[in-house]
Amino acid sequence: MTDTTTDIYIRPEFEVSKLETATNVDVERRLSLIERISNINAVRKFTILLGLVAIWEIYTRIGDVEPLLFPTFSDSAVVLWETLLSGLMLEKVWVSLYVLVLGYIAGVVLAAAFLVFAVMSRIGSDFLSTMTAMFQPLPAISLLPLAMLWFGLGVPSLVFVTIHSVLWAVALSTHTGFMQVSETLRMVGRNYGLRGIPYVFMILVPAAFASILTGLKVGWAFAWRTLIGAELVFGAASGEGGLGWMIYEKGDNLDTPYVFAALFAVIVIGLIVENLIFRNVEISTVQKWGMQR
Amino acid sequence: MSDHAVQPYLREEFEGDEIGEAVVGDVERRLSVWERISNIDAVRKFSVLITLVVAWELYSRIGDINELMFPTFSATGTALYSALVYEGLMTNVWNSLSLLLMGYAIGVGIAAVLVVFGVWTRFGSDLLTTLTAMLNPLPAIALLPMAMLWFGLGPAAIVFTLLHSIIWPVALNTHSGFMGVSETQRMVGRNYGLRGLPYIYKILIPAAFPSILTGLRIGWAFAWRTLIAAELVFGGQVADTSGQLGAEGGNAGGLGWIIFQNQMENQTPYVFAGLFAVILVGIILENGIFRNIEDRTIRRWGMQVA
Repeated sequence: MTDTTTDIYIRPEFEVSKLETATNVDVERRLSLIERISNINAVRKFTILLGLVAIWEIYTRIGDVEPLLFPTFSDSAVVLWETLLSGLMLEKVWVSLYVLVLGYIAGVVLAAAFLVFAVMSRIGSDFLSTMTAMFQPLPAISLLPLAMLWFGLGVPSLVFVTIHSVLWAVALSTHTGFMQVSETLRMVGRNYGLRGIPYVFMILVPAAFASILTGLKVGWAFAWRTLIGAELVFGAASGEGGLGWMIYEKGDNLDTPYVFAALFAVIVIGLIVENLIFRNVEISTVQKWGMQR
Repeated sequence: MSDHAVQPYLREEFEGDEIGEAVVGDVERRLSVWERISNIDAVRKFSVLITLVVAWELYSRIGDINELMFPTFSATGTALYSALVYEGLMTNVWNSLSLLLMGYAIGVGIAAVLVVFGVWTRFGSDLLTTLTAMLNPLPAIALLPMAMLWFGLGPAAIVFTLLHSIIWPVALNTHSGFMGVSETQRMVGRNYGLRGLPYIYKILIPAAFPSILTGLRIGWAFAWRTLIAAELVFGGQVADTSGQLGAEGGNAGGLGWIIFQNQMENQTPYVFAGLFAVILVGIILENGIFRNIEDRTIRRWGMQVA
């Protein structure tokens, strides 16, 4: 046994030469004003935004750019201001939002009806999953030609495609959410004697709210995109409508500052819905309940 | 105090009637053939599908429906068959898919560059978040009129809009995925001396793969919808100016174009056939490709359970 013991390398003892006194460095120091300012997130992002706008303005002024193809930022901003004042922009926004809200509500109500049916019976669940598997990959906008055939040019066709874009996204996401509700929560509900619709609304909906909200968000994103696309097609098929139609019409007439003004409006609406509405719903529900950080 | 003492209710003793012989049903029983068949998921879903088809066929045959408004299922089936065999529907599918793939590849490339830049510097990160916050809520299709002005009626305009529909969701999801990578994993990477690109490929990408995949899926969904919409607008544009289709002429358009054109010519069965083709492509991409990637990566790595 003693043969196998390994020799351990023993480091010889040594003594460090005398340490010099440390030169005095700042152990703690206030950040300079610029550092403190540039640490504010909003300031940095706002600067970037200003920088981008400046680049746009300078590029379109100095570069040899045809203003009909690419207007300056100032022209676009002026047009946006004027259309806001004259009420033209608000009118267009209202037309688009009206259709969107109508389609969104109808889509969500239909999805809820399908879901209640799916929760209560196995055949309903099969029906729903087959329908969503079929229609979820189908872009709602591709139904627009048929909708125009069935309902004519006008609001009903737009509402039809908007419903289509909301319904399946919401139904799919909510259904998966319901499926993942834990057995414990379900048993609590059954213990209280809940069945049918009260069971759905008092147990399944709160438990699956995170997925429902995801579904509503995806549905909104699809609906907004579909609506703008549908209005563009309508423009081509000479109907009339909201923001999408304004973009199409002004683009066709080479009124490009108007196109950019309308694009700004589309972005602003998107930001408001996503960051104000959905964000607040999220904060006051799933985040407050501790389901999502 | 003693006034408030609760008097327990004492139930009186009682003796039950004699309990009769219990009727014990089948404790264990093989399910009948019918029950076993209806327990197979595929069978149930397939029968739902068949019922829907039969309902469609009956409704459009018996109901007083104009054939041009709502064709029978059989007419649609025949149209799909003849479109596939005689009218080169596959060419249209390929035209759409090749545009989609081109846009997707370039878009993901640009998103990757933006995200790498965003990971390296604080300025890049700020630029990325500002750009995505601004441009993600903008439907890509809204840029099509400008793209048509800049690039003319043609594939370039469509690819431009597709790029826009892909870059922002992919960049947004990847960036937020990278931000959520735990400090422990980052420190492991730094411990190995990884910096720059190797750090991104070996640490950040595997750790953030679920969000990256989500981004890729959303990007695909938006791109597919944008492509179909763009082709529809093109159809409208051509019908509007009643001009020649130019590069898109003959059999060169994509699926959206086929749907629009057949609707204009009142060939409703062919419109339905086009819709079927769109659904099939969607199902194949969604379930065939993304599902497989998911199975091979995040599910195998145990990052996603369901």
